[in-house]
Amino acid sequence: MNRTSLIEKLQTIVRPYSNNQEAVGTLTEDTDFIRDLGINSANLVDIVLDIEEQFGITVDNADMEQMLTVKASLDIIENKLSGNK
Amino acid sequence: MIGNDVIDLVQARQESNWRRKGFLEKIFTLGEREVIQSAADTELYVWLFWSMKEAAYKIYNRETGLRAFMPRRLECIIERRGNENYQGRVVCEGTVYTTQTIITGEMIHTIALPVKHADKQVIAVEAPVYKDASGLPFIHNNKGEIIDVSKSHHGRFTRVVALDKLYNQ
Repeated sequence: MNRTSLIEKLQTIVRPYSNNQEAVGTLTEDTDFIRDLGINSANLVDIVLDIEEQFGITVDNADMEQMLTVKASLDIIENKLSGNK
Repeated sequence: MIGNDVIDLVQARQESNWRRKGFLEKIFTLGEREVIQSAADTELYVWLFWSMKEAAYKIYNRETGLRAFMPRRLECIIERRGNENYQGRVVCEGTVYTTQTIITGEMIHTIALPVKHADKQVIAVEAPVYKDASGLPFIHNNKGEIIDVSKSHHGRFTRVVALDKLYNQ
């Protein structure tokens, strides 16, 4: 899956947890889930679980620690999809 | 250094389904899950431990400048239970934070201190809270000096706390 499709899929995943729909619509790789999208940290867990379900991957603790931004999430998803379990 | 976290239980229930498959495993260690699952009020312990992690993490973040989503690295232990209050510890890679949690009605409020400051008095603060360049909260004490505070807001509740010694000079 290319980066643009991944971003769109990620947008769909994070949308229900954000209190700033405009920011979700215009998100970029530098967008921070908590600071820019107003997502609360308990819902970060839901986002990780949603990503695992929708991409069929497993996100371990070390990866999850970094998943505060769009870019970090995309890097981890791409890494897992390319077979690096 | 001080950290706090407030949880509005009504809002927490709306925002999160802690019973979701895989949810507890992402946040809590095996030891914590055992305590949670054997508690009389499982839901309460989920949010009690969560607030302890958040309060301790605020100190960790302020001290180290590191930002990470690392709930499992902040291990919670309850040491003493009173009527609606819990005394505990959060251990993060050898660093120990002491915590006090008060549960009143639908609000959980945890205050964390580095264990070396466990004996310090904490007070609630009403003064206007400002944010520094890193987004960390501070206020001016009665001498006009800048002191660190911890602020937490969730749902209907906001709490700001500071070390008494610094606030009342």
